[in-house]
Amino acid sequence: MLIYTIKRFFEMVIVFFLFLVISYLLFNAIPGNAFSSLLLNPLLPPEAYQKTIEAFGLDKPLYERVQLYIINFFKGDFGYSYTYYPRTPIDLIAERLPRTLMLFSIVNVIAFYTGFLVGKILAWRRGSKSETWITIGSVFSYTVFYPWFALMMLWFFGYKMDWFPLGKFLVPEKWYDSPYTSDEIFYTLIIFVTVSSFLLFLIFIFTRNIESLQNRRNVRFLGLISLFALAATYWTNGEAALKRFYAADIAYHMILPTFTVTLVAFAGTALLTRTTMMEVLKDDYILTARAKGLSQKRIRDRHAARTALLPVVTSFIFTIITIIDGSVLTESIFSWPGMGQLILEAVVQEDIPLAMASFSFIGILALIAHFIADVSYAFLDPRIRIKSEN
Amino acid sequence: MVESLLEVKNLSMHYDTLDGNVDAVKDISFTVKSGESFGLVGESGCGKTSVAMTLLQLQPDNSVITEGSIKLDGKELIGLSENELRKVRWDSVSIVFQGAMNAWNPVVKIGEQIREAMREHYPENSKQQNINKINELFKMVGLDESISERFPHELSGGMKQRAVIALALSCDPKLIIADEPTTALDVVIQDQILNEIKKVQDLLGLSLIYISHDIAVIAEMTDKIAVMYAGSIVEIGPTQEVFKSPKHSYTRALLDSTPSIRGEKKKLRSLDGEPPSLINKIDGCSFSPRCPTPTTQCKNQSIEMRLVKVGDDHFADQCCSGCVKNE
Ligand SMILES: Nc1ncnc2c1ncn2[C@@H]1O[C@H](COP(=O)(O)OP(=O)(O)O)[C@@H](O)[C@H]1O
Ligand SMILES: [Mg+2]
Repeated sequence: MLIYTIKRFFEMVIVFFLFLVISYLLFNAIPGNAFSSLLLNPLLPPEAYQKTIEAFGLDKPLYERVQLYIINFFKGDFGYSYTYYPRTPIDLIAERLPRTLMLFSIVNVIAFYTGFLVGKILAWRRGSKSETWITIGSVFSYTVFYPWFALMMLWFFGYKMDWFPLGKFLVPEKWYDSPYTSDEIFYTLIIFVTVSSFLLFLIFIFTRNIESLQNRRNVRFLGLISLFALAATYWTNGEAALKRFYAADIAYHMILPTFTVTLVAFAGTALLTRTTMMEVLKDDYILTARAKGLSQKRIRDRHAARTALLPVVTSFIFTIITIIDGSVLTESIFSWPGMGQLILEAVVQEDIPLAMASFSFIGILALIAHFIADVSYAFLDPRIRIKSEN
Repeated sequence: MVESLLEVKNLSMHYDTLDGNVDAVKDISFTVKSGESFGLVGESGCGKTSVAMTLLQLQPDNSVITEGSIKLDGKELIGLSENELRKVRWDSVSIVFQGAMNAWNPVVKIGEQIREAMREHYPENSKQQNINKINELFKMVGLDESISERFPHELSGGMKQRAVIALALSCDPKLIIADEPTTALDVVIQDQILNEIKKVQDLLGLSLIYISHDIAVIAEMTDKIAVMYAGSIVEIGPTQEVFKSPKHSYTRALLDSTPSIRGEKKKLRSLDGEPPSLINKIDGCSFSPRCPTPTTQCKNQSIEMRLVKVGDDHFADQCCSGCVKNE
């Protein structure tokens, strides 16, 4: 498993180099000189102009420029943003990335989990009325034109019902006299979510070895309760108590985008889970599990769904890229000022340094997501795990 | 007299399909005493697996039990709820399925898959108790303890099958149903597995229902035998007796088409024709179209299939019981 992970990691690094080179060449191939916009920008002081030419070696031949680009990349030097001068792309990305990361990971975890859950139940209730209707609903949400659907959701829940804000990630009036910047709150939120997911994971890992199913369930329930208690204590004490108000504002703004993307994105997973699980249910070991006298729930979750998960994860790995693409759309529609919007802005404004830097970071993000999915797949499928050990 | 452990009476079951009803089990009765091994033999498609599944109510959703009773230790199984059946499954009766090679979930360790059954039926056992028991069972069937920590794809076919036997024994059943447990294995392994089953059955004093299309294997394994044809039992009796003097011409045909390795050389006669489709209602003797030695009685469409006594504890179908002229 370790060797497999290391191998995958090196593959990822190689792919990343290729990605850097190719993305540079692509930008290079954009018709017209990338400088024309720079030259025409009256806001740009001459020393910045000179700096940019030097930093990117724009007067040098192509291969030297690529070399320079890669070296600069690892120095974290992307020059200056044209549109946000004198801020650097890194500075801008550091501000935007947490926002995207937060929304993106929460949305996808929820969408994937919902999809898997729904698909599992659909396969299990095969032939029932509820199965038919939910399947039809899933097919609709799988095929619906996403931007239209998102706008409809925004119109209905945001405007018509006025339950949720119409985009953005905070209400500025609430933040005028805030002692914290939104970034700080975002970091707090990210750390909070990460730590609590990790604790949840630990609870499950450590209760796996409890032999009696009854006890296992009880201990897990107890663990969950104490986790909630812990979270409550955290938000009511010390500094977090002051941050709570602002964190709640951000969380409130996340509800509608999360709900909308989940509605659209769960369907693919649900339909695939349903199909693979129906295949798995025909397998002999399901019959063995029934003959062993196991409960229906255990057969469904432990045997059928566990095996059906594998192809679903594979397909998820393949769609990670489209999910990241989709985040550009989501951020535009819900005016969520994250990486997606930043890229869009940079491209439209021909802000080349910013565009290149954001593309590289999105690339890194995609590669890391891919890497994690790959490794967890190997963890889920012992046939891969064991083979890679020998 | 030994108490009979399993008592099946007039069991009938059909599958509901788009083409009509497939009568897979027709009016079947037999008993298995405790410690006894009972063989069920017949061509593939005659309904053997259907009988096995019905015994534990594991049959597919499209099947309908129309009649009959299945009594285990005097307790009626038909009509029990799913939760009541779960207590009987594996605890009293375990099954080694046809194609048992695929009986293992590919992503769960062997030991865990056995412990899972034990957790269900012995909830008060500690993990260590379960592990000790599994190790004991593995020793009995000739497997190494380390197999517990392996995944199914790491084992050979024979090892998987031995592990299945250990799995079947894990909750101390009184009866094991083995449905063609060796069909997918090569001959040498097949023999080892048969010996293994025989050994543990004697050792633990279990009852066994052994299902096979191979009458030679049944001869080796069982005390009592039932021959099935097109969903019905056509001959039933003590194995030795049936082999010595088969009364139904289908039994005779099965014996004639099986080579005997140790006995004297004889000409093999294969049985022509196909078994009848189970969808169509069969009038009269179901075997008569293929019977090599038909009598006038056979063609009589109004004669009903019914077992009649032809010897000591030996019964054969009345329409064909006269067909065999023992040379
Ligand atoms: N789920 C099912 N639906 C319809 N017909 C079935 C089903 N399962 C088995 N059958 C039919 O029932 C008959 C008996 O099958 P089976 O019990 O598997 O026979 P055997 O085990 O002796 O080979 C066969 O004709 C088979 O095609
Ligand atoms: Mg069969």
